[in-house]
Formats: sequence, structure tokens, C-alpha cells
Amino acid sequence: MAVPLKYNFRNLRVRWRLTLATMLGIALVVAVFVMIMALARGLKATYVSTGDPRNLLVLRKGSTAESSSQITRNEVRLIKYLDGIARDTDGEPLASAEILVLINLDRLDRTGTANVLVRGIGPVGLRLRTNIRLVEGRMFRPGLHECVVSRKIANRFANCRVGEQFRSGRTLWRVVGIFEAAKTAYESEIWVDADEARDVFKRNFYGSILIRPVEDTAAVATMIKRMEADKQLSIRVLPETEYYLEQTKTAAPIQWLGGVLAVVMSIGAAFSAMNTMYAAVSARTREIGTLRVLGFRRRHIYVSFLLESVILALLGGAVGCLFSLPLNGMATGTMSWTTFSEVAFEFRITPELLMKGMAFALVMGVLGGLLPARLAARKPVLDALRSA
Amino acid sequence: MTIPGFILRNAFRNKRRLMLTLLSVTLSLFLFTMLQTALRELTQPAQTDESALRVVARHKVSLGNVLPVKHQSRIERIPGVHTCMKLTWFGGIYKDPKDFFPQFAVDADKITDIFSEAQFDPQEMAAFLKDRAACVVGIKTMDRFGWKIGDKITLQGTIWPCDPQLTIRAVYRGGIDETNLFFHHEYMDELCGKPSLCGTFWIRAENAEAIPGLIQRIDETFANTDAETKTETERAFVLEFVSMIGNVKVLIGSICSVIVFTMILVTASTMSMAIRERSREIAILKAIGYDGWQIFSLILAESFGLALTGGVLGCFGAWFGTWLMFQHVNIAAVSNGMFIKFEVTPHIVVSGMLIAVVLGLVSCLAPAYSSIRMSVVTGLKELD
Repeated sequence: MAVPLKYNFRNLRVRWRLTLATMLGIALVVAVFVMIMALARGLKATYVSTGDPRNLLVLRKGSTAESSSQITRNEVRLIKYLDGIARDTDGEPLASAEILVLINLDRLDRTGTANVLVRGIGPVGLRLRTNIRLVEGRMFRPGLHECVVSRKIANRFANCRVGEQFRSGRTLWRVVGIFEAAKTAYESEIWVDADEARDVFKRNFYGSILIRPVEDTAAVATMIKRMEADKQLSIRVLPETEYYLEQTKTAAPIQWLGGVLAVVMSIGAAFSAMNTMYAAVSARTREIGTLRVLGFRRRHIYVSFLLESVILALLGGAVGCLFSLPLNGMATGTMSWTTFSEVAFEFRITPELLMKGMAFALVMGVLGGLLPARLAARKPVLDALRSA
Repeated sequence: MTIPGFILRNAFRNKRRLMLTLLSVTLSLFLFTMLQTALRELTQPAQTDESALRVVARHKVSLGNVLPVKHQSRIERIPGVHTCMKLTWFGGIYKDPKDFFPQFAVDADKITDIFSEAQFDPQEMAAFLKDRAACVVGIKTMDRFGWKIGDKITLQGTIWPCDPQLTIRAVYRGGIDETNLFFHHEYMDELCGKPSLCGTFWIRAENAEAIPGLIQRIDETFANTDAETKTETERAFVLEFVSMIGNVKVLIGSICSVIVFTMILVTASTMSMAIRERSREIAILKAIGYDGWQIFSLILAESFGLALTGGVLGCFGAWFGTWLMFQHVNIAAVSNGMFIKFEVTPHIVVSGMLIAVVLGLVSCLAPAYSSIRMSVVTGLKELD
């Protein structure tokens, strides 16, 4: 028969000061881990959820970012009417030539500036993206220097609310609407009319073409092969989802930081758990002797102390998870290394991440408890009883 | 037995506990030092007398917009301008996107004037100037890929539609970021069909006093043209980049305070464990005539000793550790160019040690207070 768990809980309660201090130490480590990982996860989730698997993105050959890619108007003409591109009911091909321009805007709190992506887009482009929702105002009208801004950008940059105007270069853009895009990377963009953007930003080319091919995989494969082999075209075709997936690498340094910090900090916390458990063992030497006399085996003692350490750590882990929870959904931003522009996203704490935090606490508990539990189990019965 | 001997004996009475606590203090202060170093590297770009003379002009809309090359001659005519150099971010791929290092197309003949703090070999530079398809590379990138002078490399353009084939003709060391590659702007223009565009202009002012007026005059010169400029000091230019990464200060600052807080928690509980099991001895000390303050200073000395040893091990460990790391790891490559020097400064070590001092003081307060207040009789009654 194992030593009842109640015994461990009572012991933790009796030495509550020490228990609390150790628990809090573990809690803080778990909280830091969960928070940093939630940052990385939110950033990754933004890119993973962006793009429609049915769409293909056309960029200039060798280009890694839409913002620095160039597609000539001639290329646009050639690509638009290729076989294999789906058409709408009016017979218009579902191909959207777009331009992405980086502009520097003041932050809302006026602490500085950051680059934001302006996407020049047309009606077809809007139709190819299904998860866009206008939540305020109306869509822009071409020719009037109007734009719609994502909710996240509106919350982070100055003069981006409906009715306000912001200046870029010599042009004033009037914000006429706010959109949401289901937490995708589009939520870090400002949208304007494509031809107007080319005119204002002096681009005689486009940046990319988003196309929707027909639903026939074989036909699509031949189309892509033909496009990439065409001597007149110097382009690269890839699924829209893949383009965004590649950008999840932006989260790598954050993940790295989280991992290193968590490991080093957890070593410190495991030491503190070990200290606590050693103190517990030495204070209860007599009790250990008594338990042995009552018929509990060495392995029972061993398991009991190990369990106590694990309980201590798991309590700490749970508190740590609770500490981190208020951060869930909090908006923040960083720079994308692909486009050199601000990407706005949210901390994302998932049940899986909390489980990881708890697993982390468990490891700290086991590491902290192993040696003290062994010490407790090895105490000779008589010596233990004799000790003061 | 002397007083210091007595304190030492007490400190070492439970060696295991001492070691565990010491190690966790060491680790915490090590982390603290490393994080502060990272923060410093990100938020305080190195400022030298030379870099203080440099200003950068970019397109007003954003760095993503390019400027016409014809701006250069107009900038050069502005009084106070010593040299004006085109500098364009090439952003090409060498073999694999993972092999990232910064590449710039520049006016080859002006690079030694602009980056005058870097050490260029005059003979090598002469060879670099003569060969249009030549490049000059920082020592760290040379070492990273094991390149030698005379090697040929190809960069695949991602922003500019050309793939320059370059011959390494010169190496530079010191002063500026040692991971850059510079090549002839003319060569890039030629390959890309002479677009007559460039990313930025780097300007060396004749003296520091001229800079504010210079910045204003450059921007005024191009106001209301198709390509307006925004000119700022090199330092402001770099800081703007850093600010875009996010609120690094808040992130690292809060992690550091969590670390310090956890460390205080751990050490304070160790100290109270250590003092509580000694309450009988403390009562005896009191009985033979030690007063509360003397006992307090004994406990304080012990906790100070613990904290300071941890501080020395942690902070100097980080100092030594980063130095050691530098001998074997190319930190710029590992961190994708984010960290270049990663230098632990005396200032950071001192602040780490100050935290150790505070730690020593704070962690003994609670146990010392209770043991001073405790009466001799209660203390003697304690069993364990």
C-alpha cells in the first residue's frame, strides 16, 4: 500500500512559507515560458492562417517577398488570359495584379515610426480573399485617394481611423473603412486601389499576381510548368499558403529566446525545489522511520517524496499558467524579416501550450525530487527513529 | 575561533544547500547579464567619433522606396557635406537563404571615406577599385564561409533582378559591422539595365556642428519633388530599425525583473531555512552577551557572502562565457545578423553586482528580524 497523498498535502501545508516560495519560483518560470511561447505562437498562427489553398501567387523569379517583386504590365497581360485560370460568371479571369508598397507611418503613441504595407488591389483581388470583413465605414473608391485600413493597424498607427487622413510622400490618403481579416497577415495591411497606388508611388510595374486556377490538378500542373518555362516570363509560381508559411521563420528568434530562457531558468527553479525537498526530508527523518516501522517499504517512501515534489511543482505550474492567461489575445507587433514591415498579431495561449507549461513544471518537480527522495528512502530505520 | 571563521563555518554547515542556492544565484545573474547585454546591443548602437559624422538620407515614404541617383550631385553641392555615397541594400542569396549576410552596392571609391574607422588594406583596395566586379568583405563573413582573397562568389538577387558574380579583392576589419559585403554600384546598375536608382545616400559631414543644418538643407532641397527625402543621423536611422522589432525594452526588462524576483525568493527561503535550524545557537549567542545588532551582522555577512559569490560567478561567468563563445561561434551568423558584438560591458557587470548586494540584504531581513526578536528562552526550547 502506498503512502496516502493526504500526507504529502498536509506536509506541504505545514511548511507553507517554504512551499509558497518554491511554488512561486516555479510559477514564474512557467509563466515566462508560456508568455514567450505565446508570442511566437501568435506570430506563427498569423502566417499559417493566411492564404487560400486554392490560390496561386506569381512573383518575379528569385524574389522572396511580394514587396520587392516586380511583374511587368506585359507579363500581367500574358498571364491573365492563360488557360487554366478560372473565370467568373462574366468571363473575367480570376487573376489579380497587385502592388505592395512599404510606407513609413507614425505610431499612435507618437513614440516613433514603423513601416506598414500598402496593398494596391482591385475588385478581383477582393473576391479572391474570402475572409475579409468590413467592420466600419465602406470600401475605397478608386481615384479619390481613399483607403481601408485593418483594425490592428488602425489601433497601432496615428491618423488611421475612419474619417482621418494620413500623409505618405506628397499624397494624403483618406481612411474610409476598417476591415478585419480573421487574424491573418492581411490584418497588417492598408488597402488602396491598385492603379492609384502605382500612380502615386511611381511604379510602372506590379508586384505580384494572385490567381485562382481551375479545379483540375493536372491542368494546373501543366499551366505552372508552362508559365515557368516561358521565355517571355521571368516568374515564380507558388501556392499562396506556402508563401506565407515561409514567413513563419520570423518567429524563430522569439522561440529560440523562449527555449533558452526557459531551460536556464528552470534549472534554477529545480535547484530551489531540491533545496525545499531536502529540507523536508531532514525535518521528517523521524516520520520516515515511523512510516517504515508501520510497514511502508523503501519504494513507498521514495515514491511519496517524489510525488510531493511533483505536487509542489504542478501547483507552481498551475499558478504560472494562471499568471500568463491575461496575456491571451493581447495585441502586439514586430518586424517581418521578409517584407521589413510591421506585422501585427496577438499573444495566443492555447490549451496545448498550457499543457507544455505543466509538463515543464513536472520535469522541474521530478528533477528537484529525485535525489531527496532517494536520500529519504535510504535512511536506515533505526537511525531515523533515533534522530532527535 | 575568529568571527569570519565562525561565519564561514555556519555558511558551510549544509554544503548541499549552499551549493544549490549558490548555483541558482549564479545562473540567475548569468542570465541577467546576458539579457542586459542583448538589450544594450539592440538599443544602443555603438557610437564612435566617426559614426557621429554620418547621416543617412532615404526616401521619405519609406526605406522600401528607392531614390533617383541624380540626387547625389545635388547633395554633394550642399555646404558641410564632405562625401556622399550611394548605398543600396542588395539582399541577395548566397547558396541558401540560411547563409544570410548583409550585402550593399556602394560607390567603390568613397567607401574608405565614409567608413573611415574600418581598416582597409591600401593595396587590396587598389585592386578592388580596378576591378568592376570586385567586392570587399568583412573578416567575420570571410571566416564564416572560409573565403580567401581571389575567390569568386555569385549572389542571387531577390530585390534587384540580377545575379552579380563577384571576386573578393579586399578584406576589412574592425570599426563597423564586420559581416558586410560591399561591391561596385556601377556593376549592379550595369547588370540591372541602368535603372539609375539607389536605396540610400550615406553622407559624411565635415564636422559634427554642421549636421543639424545639413539634415535640414538636404530635405529642403528635395521637398516637393517626386522623391522627397528623410535625412537623419546614423544613430537615429539604426534605432528606428530596432524599434520596429518590437518593444524589446519592455520584454527583456520584464523578464529580468522576474529573474531577479525569483532569485530573491529562492535565496530568502534558503536563508530562513538556514537561520531557523540554528535558533538554538542564536539563543546561546544571545545568552552569552551578543546583542541583536551583532547577531544581525553575523547573518547579514553570511547572506552577503552567498549573494556576492553568486554575483561574481554569474556576472564574470557571463563575461568570460561570451568571450569564450566569441572564439568559437560566429554570433552574427547564429543570430541572423541581429547581434554583432555582444559585448558585456563593465557597466552591466556592475549593475549585476549591485543586484547581488541588494539580494544579500533583502534575503536575510526576514530571518534576521525574527531571530533578533526571539527571546532566549524560546530559542533554547527549540528542538530542531
